[in-house]
Amino acid sequence: MASKTKATPAAGGEVLTYNKGTFRNSALVRQQTLAAYLFLLPALFFFVLFVVVPMVMCLVTSFFDYRMGKPLTFVGLNQYIKMFQDPTFLKALVNTFILVIVAVPTVTAFSLWVSSVVYKFSAFKRSFFRCIFYLPVVTGTVAVAVVWKWMFNKYTGLINYVLSATGVIDQNISWLGDARFALGCIILILFTTSIGQPIVLYIAALGNVDPSLIDAAEVDGANNFQVFWHIKWPQIMPTTLYILVITTINTFQCYALIQLLTSGGPNHATDTIMYYIYYQAFKLNDYGYGDAMGVILAIIIAVLSAIQFKVAGSGSGD
Amino acid sequence: MKKQLSLLLAAGMTAGLLAGCGGSTSSTATESTASSTSSAATGETSGDNLSADITMWTYPIGQFSDADTVNSIITKFQESHPGINVTVEYLDYTNGDDQVTAAIEAGTTPDIVMEGPERLVSNWGAKGKMLDLSDLWTEDAVADISATSQAVVNACKGADGNYYEYPLCMTTHTMAINKEMFEAADALQYINEDGTWTTENFEKALQALKDSGVDTTMIVYCGGQGGDQGTRALVNNLYSGQFTNADHTAYTTDSDANKKALQQLLDWSNEGLISYDAAAQASDELQLFANGTVAMTLCWNASNQAQYASSVTFTPMAVAFPSDDGVPELCGGIWGFGIFDNGDDTKAAAAKEFIKFLCDDPEQGPESVRLTGFFPVRSSFGDVYTGTEDEDRMAQFSSFMQYLGDYYPVTAGWAEQRTAWWNMLQQIFTGTSVDDAVATYTTTSNDALAAAAA
Repeated sequence: MASKTKATPAAGGEVLTYNKGTFRNSALVRQQTLAAYLFLLPALFFFVLFVVVPMVMCLVTSFFDYRMGKPLTFVGLNQYIKMFQDPTFLKALVNTFILVIVAVPTVTAFSLWVSSVVYKFSAFKRSFFRCIFYLPVVTGTVAVAVVWKWMFNKYTGLINYVLSATGVIDQNISWLGDARFALGCIILILFTTSIGQPIVLYIAALGNVDPSLIDAAEVDGANNFQVFWHIKWPQIMPTTLYILVITTINTFQCYALIQLLTSGGPNHATDTIMYYIYYQAFKLNDYGYGDAMGVILAIIIAVLSAIQFKVAGSGSGD
Repeated sequence: MKKQLSLLLAAGMTAGLLAGCGGSTSSTATESTASSTSSAATGETSGDNLSADITMWTYPIGQFSDADTVNSIITKFQESHPGINVTVEYLDYTNGDDQVTAAIEAGTTPDIVMEGPERLVSNWGAKGKMLDLSDLWTEDAVADISATSQAVVNACKGADGNYYEYPLCMTTHTMAINKEMFEAADALQYINEDGTWTTENFEKALQALKDSGVDTTMIVYCGGQGGDQGTRALVNNLYSGQFTNADHTAYTTDSDANKKALQQLLDWSNEGLISYDAAAQASDELQLFANGTVAMTLCWNASNQAQYASSVTFTPMAVAFPSDDGVPELCGGIWGFGIFDNGDDTKAAAAKEFIKFLCDDPEQGPESVRLTGFFPVRSSFGDVYTGTEDEDRMAQFSSFMQYLGDYYPVTAGWAEQRTAWWNMLQQIFTGTSVDDAVATYTTTSNDALAAAAA
């Protein structure tokens, strides 16, 4: 086999050539590779044990009738067929998509808007606003849910109190107990708990945009929108992509808020796939069915993430 | 040289990690072997010389959720059983079931679990996860407990005839009213001295409260399954309906009596006599009752009375659920112990010793009951609150024990039924006809029952 050669300019401009096969010792490469794998091994071990193995088990058991106290029975695609004939699952699927479609763009756009203002502040003020917006992220979901539950309370809630006092409503509303409002309330809470991380990331990303490019564009007469669209937006695209993917995944996996606030009600108005998986697996002990829904959810998230990578990736390439 | 050093370092780290894991495994194995050798060596699988480390998981039942209290019981137990060590883990009703489910799947269940027949018997027992406790149910025990209530004996027995629970205490779930609010509305006249009332008088009381300016008289809460025994008891009692048939082989919510009751609740809601809230569970309703927002609660018992006694600024008065004939059938609560089938005879024997100590010991038995805040299942214990500061409070609830109805939560398909129940209430109060909502509920529940029985 012919060995590869590479030309490199020497200091004096003379072109030297070296033979890779001559300068690289294959034993050394093997050692380096082995060392790399050994360093990876501990993390890989836990990743395989706690992520890959459960994923594979989930996939396998989705083809079985797997319930507590019942013999494991192979049922082929029956769980998947049952799933798409289950009106509660379909309702949960629709609700989850509504959450994603509304929450992800809103969170991303709002975060970008706030960040584009905050990143210009002095370091002290920037830190202050970062803290404020990040507080809901570090506050426990349970605490957040308790506060919101109180605010939405039909009898003693702050929202009804304010709306009654200002004459907007004449009768108290059960915000979380009324199918017309419940999902909207969940979206609002999800929004407030989701914007912290994107804002911090956007502030950092905007701060890293090369100011000389902005100066040059402004000297050339570019207005604010043109500076944003042609200079900043392409440079923060990787951050946007990350935020889109992470927010999408988190929204698809919305469970705790539902469990703590509505249990999927009223009339399944706030059922999400993740909550329904929990209900089937842990309340009814129908693990096979829960696993099948988990597989479908994973596929949906993977496909949407791939689309986001494709679209946003091509955008950043521009 | 550097690379070789890196290689060595990486190898060392990995080996260390693996050694750590291995060491842990090895050490666990050694402990386990030592324990089993020790048990085998002593050869004691019964009696006071038993040697075993057992674990108990307990749901929050009275003071059995308090570590200091439980530890003091264990200390007393170890005076007679020095070789048995008991480790306790405290569950809550929010995620306790999930923890048990995960433990069952992982094969790491505790030896003892403290809860009621709906979990121990009709769920885990029916699924073959529990040990048969028939040997604890001696003739004396059966006679003693039957004398209090045959329903308790039946509830602790699975469909296969095995006993999966050994009961300690019981109570009836009642309603409670804000006495001062009722007095102000002149509505106390509709309640009999013994705390019972008729459906007709209940409606009159609702009207009186409304006329006196009470905004929220009562809430039909259906935001989840928490405290759902309250709404079930209300529906069943209004026109003497039954939740299941006598042998617990069918859910009977679609009976005319139950449908009439549901329609009546809807009518009262439409007339503004009662409220409905799909966002509230019993805990929310209780809080609203405790702060004086709502005039009555559907979720009351002796334990709640004790818990809220210090925080309320009014007199909470326990009353029965209203019924058309004035004779209520109250839902009961039974709590006791079950043993998971972990395949270790020594531990099972030790667990039984601990359960016998908690439930049957002449001194500890009544004390255990007092700690739960409920009533003994053993008639021989008599009134365990005589001479205590709780005597008066408990006497009030004791009078309701005569109205204890059928203990139907042991019916198969119970978990599915619970979700279907509050979903049905939500449907009825948001426009679905009673007939349609009840039909959906009954089909779901009876299908689940059939599937569980298959």
